Amino acid sequence: MISSTQTARAQWYPIAASADLVPRHVFDGMLLGQELAVWRADDGFANIWENRCLHRGVRLTIGLNQGSELQCQYHGWRYANRTASCSYIPAHPANAPSRTVCNKTYPVVEKYGLVWSLLDQGPTFPEVAALEGSDCTPIRAIPINAPSEFVLTDLSNEVLNISDLGMFTVQVSWDETVVMTTDTGLTMVFFAQPVDAARTIIRGVSTAPINGTVLRQLNHALNRLRRRIEEDAKNIPQIDPIEPIHSSVRAELGTMPDQLETGEASLRVVVKEKIIIAEDVAQFSLTPLVGQLPTAQAGAHIDVHLPNGLTRQYSVTNGPGESDIYTIGVKKESQSKGGSETLHNTVQVGDLLSVSPPRNNFPLRRDATKSIFVAGGIGITPLLSMAKTLHSQSLAFELHYFVRSEDHVAFRTQLDALGASVILQIGLSPNETSGQLGAIYSKPDSTHHTYICGPGPMLDAARAAAADAGWNEANVHFEYFKNTNKIDDSSSFEISLARSAKTLRVEAGKTVLEVLRENGVNLMSSCGQGACGTCKVAVIDGEVDHQDVHLSASEKSQNSHMMTCVSRAKSKRLILDI
Amino acid sequence: MIELYDFELSGNCYKLRLLMTILGIEYTPKMIDFFPGNEHQTDEFLEINPLGQLPVLCDGEVTLRDAQAILTYLATKYDESGQWYPVTDPARLGLVNQWLAFADMITSTASAARLHDGLFYHWIDINKARAGAHRLFQVLDEHLWHAEQDGELWILPGNNPTLADLACFPYTMLASEGGVPLTDYPAIRRWTDRFKRVPGFIPMPGIFPAGTA
Repeated sequence: MISSTQTARAQWYPIAASADLVPRHVFDGMLLGQELAVWRADDGFANIWENRCLHRGVRLTIGLNQGSELQCQYHGWRYANRTASCSYIPAHPANAPSRTVCNKTYPVVEKYGLVWSLLDQGPTFPEVAALEGSDCTPIRAIPINAPSEFVLTDLSNEVLNISDLGMFTVQVSWDETVVMTTDTGLTMVFFAQPVDAARTIIRGVSTAPINGTVLRQLNHALNRLRRRIEEDAKNIPQIDPIEPIHSSVRAELGTMPDQLETGEASLRVVVKEKIIIAEDVAQFSLTPLVGQLPTAQAGAHIDVHLPNGLTRQYSVTNGPGESDIYTIGVKKESQSKGGSETLHNTVQVGDLLSVSPPRNNFPLRRDATKSIFVAGGIGITPLLSMAKTLHSQSLAFELHYFVRSEDHVAFRTQLDALGASVILQIGLSPNETSGQLGAIYSKPDSTHHTYICGPGPMLDAARAAAADAGWNEANVHFEYFKNTNKIDDSSSFEISLARSAKTLRVEAGKTVLEVLRENGVNLMSSCGQGACGTCKVAVIDGEVDHQDVHLSASEKSQNSHMMTCVSRAKSKRLILDI
Repeated sequence: MIELYDFELSGNCYKLRLLMTILGIEYTPKMIDFFPGNEHQTDEFLEINPLGQLPVLCDGEVTLRDAQAILTYLATKYDESGQWYPVTDPARLGLVNQWLAFADMITSTASAARLHDGLFYHWIDINKARAGAHRLFQVLDEHLWHAEQDGELWILPGNNPTLADLACFPYTMLASEGGVPLTDYPAIRRWTDRFKRVPGFIPMPGIFPAGTA
């Protein structure tokens, strides 16, 4: 039995009818003792997942299909369409879930009106010759309490007699399917889905549409068969249920997070679309060369490695459910050092690019009673993905989009879809902008959060307006494009690496990050100028000379973290948690 | 004021809470500690209902026991639309009554299995209770699957749910607590999702709200 179960796990079986997967529903499925949570997302994709939440093991079949995410009923963990990676943990609203928190997914093929899957690696989906090219109509599935071999033997000896269709004759019986044909030319193919060792579902497909009366007659005929098989099956010795295999927690989840992970550009993507969506703004849609893209959470960015050797960071504008593509917005900078210019002038549709997996240093909370987004120019990109996320959950937000002119408004159709929550602030002078920001932040509330992204001066003004109005710094989140501070790298000091048991010297003119890398500590970094937050490390002791624009003033005064690409030491020595 | 002798974990009490909430009927719950207090077997309660069963509803002069009977009383008296209990349409009325009896059979099987597993009613023949529940769910799933093929959403044809849906819903939804999973009944599971989206729907312990449709 064990060896045959192993063989069966690598075979394709129907596990549902396509019509079973109605919108916003979770289908309860089972194959070879393995429970499956099956749900169709709003984009039509059929997800087949192991039926348990990674958190406390609760069945996801009692969870909620929210259209682009499946939400566990117990503590509300959310998992993204297609990838099954966790997109939000309500108990940790300020933190982005690690992308390694990912549920077990099974392959899916929808064909002949049925949903097919297999549990282990196996062959590509085999075609069913008798059904190719016909207008397949599944009939009602019949669960039977008997082993599948038993059911198949009885079924292939069966001659169904349907008054409206005439006599069926069994034509072929091969490899777990039974094909029956009437003299009028109608063919029915029956598959046996091994639900468990002693439970089977017969799934029949007709090669032509059949009316309700005939569907009922077929159902009666199969019910007669079911009763007979179940009666016969009482004589066979009882079989134990198949022990389900729960996918073990991945090694990286069971160990300490790897602080030294490098910022590899591990994904190859193809430029599927490049369109100018506003004055000097191009939108690029990137699709995977092979496989599936990791889910980008709201606020996440990717490193894009350009043909000219430069690396640039761009926020992913995806909303929930847009998981088979990364969409970024690129503004052509007048003083481009070759990044945005290359993307605008050189990179074309069909080109291949390397990008990093998404990283989220600008996470979105979903527990605020209201979120206020303030975007300046191309700073709309991370805030657009955040607004789409809150919109999909009907959570309250305002998106204030400051732009120079109507022609500079990017992502127009996507903004229109967000309705009246989007407020365009067009062509304001610096003074008018300050006045408007004052109005936006005039009512501080400890349950409101604000997210700001835009050019440095505008971002500074927005933070100042919020601070002046009395906003709590912890409720003000921001992301700078770049660090315009002049970096003072004249100091020299020692760094002690607590975990690696190394002490290194940082001389004037070198960064902490450079010294770490020269000594074999390959810390992840992205922007290299203290803006994105990727190279953040924890500080155990010593006084940091903060020079970044990623941390807030209070975070800097806590002295608990530093950006190794620009920040240095005021004390003689820093002890770092790496 | 209507008074409901109520126990939070009882599916039959929940039926009445559900209908009264959907119809906007105000009532006062009188909580009876069915488990573990066994208050439904006290002398005081046996004078209200000699069968020692919940729920009991008092509406002025009227005192009624039996969940299905109370549903028909409330719907006939308070549902002005007449959709929940169509007393003026003999064919539909007959069908609703047929499914109210079916709901009672679900109580005596699926609910009995739940009492065995959850509330220590160890004298119940659990195999018999579960087998009985499966036989009923086969019938209900088949009925609902064919209804779906005909474009229907509810147990009775038509645009609205009736007491047939409301009465069958609670103990079907709670069946897995008695070791009767609904895995083999996909059409039932879709119907329960639809019922959870009826305006005015309220949950109970073990019955969660549906997401937005």
